[in-house]
Amino acid sequence: MSALFQEAAQSIDLAAIRTAKQNGMPVVGLTCSFAPVEIFYAAGIVPVRLRGIHTESLAIGDAYYGPFVCTFPKALLQQAGSGFYDFLDGAVITSGCDGMRRLDECWRKMGSDIEGTLPRWFTLFDVPHKPDGVALSWYESRIRKLMAAIEERFHVTITIEALEKAIRDQNMIREKIWELGVLRSQDPVFITGTEAFEALIARTVLPSDVYLDALTSLVDEVKNRTEPVSLGKKRLFVTGSICDDVDLFRQIEEKGAVVVGESVCYGMRNSCDTVREDQDPVTALAEHYLSGSICPRMFGYYPMRRDAILDMVKTAKADGVIMQNIRFCDLHGSENGLLEKDLEKEGIPALRIEKEYGTLTEKGRLRMRFDAFLEQLKSGDT
Amino acid sequence: MRPELKEYALDELFAKTFDIAGKAVRSTDKERAILLRSIPYVGGLLEPMLALGKPAATFLEIMGDYYTNIVNARARGKKVVMTTFCFDPTIFYAFDNLVPVTLEVGTVITSILWKRGSFDYMDFCTEVGFSETGCSSQRGTMGAYLAGAGVDIDMVAINMGGVCDTNGNAYSFAAQYLGKPFYGLDYPSELTPGDVTDYHHKDYRALIRFIEEQGGGRFDIDRLRELLEEKKIQDELTHELEDMQRLVPNPVPGLFNLMLYAGRYTWSGGKKYTRMLKEMVDVVRANADKGLSGLGKPEKCRAFLFYIDNFSFNVGMFQWLRKNQVSHMGNMLSRFFPDNAPYRRDVQGTCYRIDTTSLDTMIDTLADINARMPMTRTIRGPYDAPNMWLEDSLSLAEMYKADCCIYNGTPGCRNTWSNVKLIMRDLEKHGFPTHLVYADAFDGRVESWETTAMRLDEFFSVRGLL
Repeated sequence: MSALFQEAAQSIDLAAIRTAKQNGMPVVGLTCSFAPVEIFYAAGIVPVRLRGIHTESLAIGDAYYGPFVCTFPKALLQQAGSGFYDFLDGAVITSGCDGMRRLDECWRKMGSDIEGTLPRWFTLFDVPHKPDGVALSWYESRIRKLMAAIEERFHVTITIEALEKAIRDQNMIREKIWELGVLRSQDPVFITGTEAFEALIARTVLPSDVYLDALTSLVDEVKNRTEPVSLGKKRLFVTGSICDDVDLFRQIEEKGAVVVGESVCYGMRNSCDTVREDQDPVTALAEHYLSGSICPRMFGYYPMRRDAILDMVKTAKADGVIMQNIRFCDLHGSENGLLEKDLEKEGIPALRIEKEYGTLTEKGRLRMRFDAFLEQLKSGDT
Repeated sequence: MRPELKEYALDELFAKTFDIAGKAVRSTDKERAILLRSIPYVGGLLEPMLALGKPAATFLEIMGDYYTNIVNARARGKKVVMTTFCFDPTIFYAFDNLVPVTLEVGTVITSILWKRGSFDYMDFCTEVGFSETGCSSQRGTMGAYLAGAGVDIDMVAINMGGVCDTNGNAYSFAAQYLGKPFYGLDYPSELTPGDVTDYHHKDYRALIRFIEEQGGGRFDIDRLRELLEEKKIQDELTHELEDMQRLVPNPVPGLFNLMLYAGRYTWSGGKKYTRMLKEMVDVVRANADKGLSGLGKPEKCRAFLFYIDNFSFNVGMFQWLRKNQVSHMGNMLSRFFPDNAPYRRDVQGTCYRIDTTSLDTMIDTLADINARMPMTRTIRGPYDAPNMWLEDSLSLAEMYKADCCIYNGTPGCRNTWSNVKLIMRDLEKHGFPTHLVYADAFDGRVESWETTAMRLDEFFSVRGLL
């Protein structure tokens, strides 16, 4: 177990971030995987994915959002309003989904109500809802616009060389993550899903140089492990709504399974390919981030996502798939319905669950569902 | 879904219902009384509708035509395009072989006319995997098409990317479930910058290529010009209505709002829609000349609905407003933002202009119209950004001298429920008492109409509006 990754997965206040700030690096919060981290690193900024972990109440979130909204953006707002993100020098809100893009207004409104809760630089980043054609060039233009805004706000110049270096660094991370993925797909497997997921979440919040070193150490160490964690256990794959909940993985594994892969935001989903290093870096970033994503916000592209998930499930040799969605996440909620049928056609058992963001409320109910699913898998009665 | 429901072809039911309703216009009083006794639920709409005279008769006719066209599409060698209410259908009518079908219009009809609304269809969507928290306006009739109780669909084309996830998600799901090709127009968060307009125009051209490829039909330039010229007339007539709506008392009957937008969603550019608008103008002008309110009784209060209407119990909301002498001052569904609309004053430079000079200008016009359709214009970007929800709502509420604002929507609307509390605060700050309705505009199971009405009573009473 990497203590660094454990800390990164379980905490918002990280020593590595504090150190970066002490070294004069601004820190900017991101709400979505569609914002290319490379442009921030190229500007000498540490990008950090925002998370709503450890939320004990949604009093602030509910004051701005209506009742029929997913608890993830509410939890982010709650934590921002409670001062957990006071260290941010900026935040970029992306139109990931309707609830998330409205975080822009809710946070700004909260900023005018609760002094000091709005980062000094706060901007909305448009991302089209399709990955190709005219949308691709539009998205590239949005990246260039965002780069210009960063340069202006932080008084920096994002050079081609810096961008190319940032791309190379991130590609190295992506390749290392694939190595981790290969290790997880082996049978027997020597790393639990919980531990692997912690490492993946850590990628979204740790500075990339710190992260790459730690990930490399973890991968090397796992390669040398001799004690398998999968003996006698069912291999499961997790997909669906945004998830940075290590406890969800822990709960599943405590029931006698091992999570051998996942396709969720904060997990493996956004590392399926490298960014091309042989073309204009901004064009390459646009192609990678827009076309490479398998988020259901891209309307009409379900077959592409299904094929990618089926491929991951088969590569991981999973015995079953757990599809989760946060309540009111219609995008994943509906797509899980389609995926359930397609998994069925492939003879892959699946469990579909709806839950709230975080682990506070529903442990018992979820445990029971996992228990029942594993029982079915073990008996072959699926 | 109840098996017997699958035995009835939804579009055919609609076509026949409107056909019979149209005949009721010509019935004697005695015949009408007997008819209304036999159809207590349909009567909930028919009775107040028939009381509106000529325009209502034309409305029933055009709705009948709409569904008859859909029913006969296959036999006439035409293809059916499933599309959303806020997609301007003119482009489909410019092809020689396309017929649009709109889920939300069907959901409104079932919600208004049927005792159980479209509950069965909504639930069927959930049965086949669609999220139960998705918007009821699509789920209402989407269930029928997924279950095979509607006509066969050939393709899906919508304009909700960047505007409404739940809408885009529903049509995307339907396309996948039915195995049909899909095209979605996409919208950035801004409306007016040059690069955004360019994006709208390019995306719309890609849509036309998609329609040509999938439909295999002939795009008729002359027909398109004819439709757009007709739209100019329709816009002028709509402006007349909207201009007169500013009078105190407001001479426009509340149900005219519904007829206006339903007509536009289904028959934009169609001659009969023009006829209906002319007839509406005649009625409203007569009211205005006499200083009468469209309520049929004195106006006590004016309410601007800054989202949509409630259709979950016949036309209960319209009836409640009428009973309480509250004028319906229009809503987000009834404004389309042409550059000569009376309300353009406060939103200069953000409206569309119909230009029929060349094929290119006509396509650009269609793209511009689509970008300004209800929802597509107003709820895409931050609600407090220029030309978005707050600015549009304030300018409309002020111009139409509203005494209060009402939000009515559906719990499926992730978009508006994510910022409605914020806009409510702003509207209140600007002096508009504002009420949030927690009901579902299309699903009476969420909150009974009686409860919704009780809360409206409470709001109007506590805020001293009545």
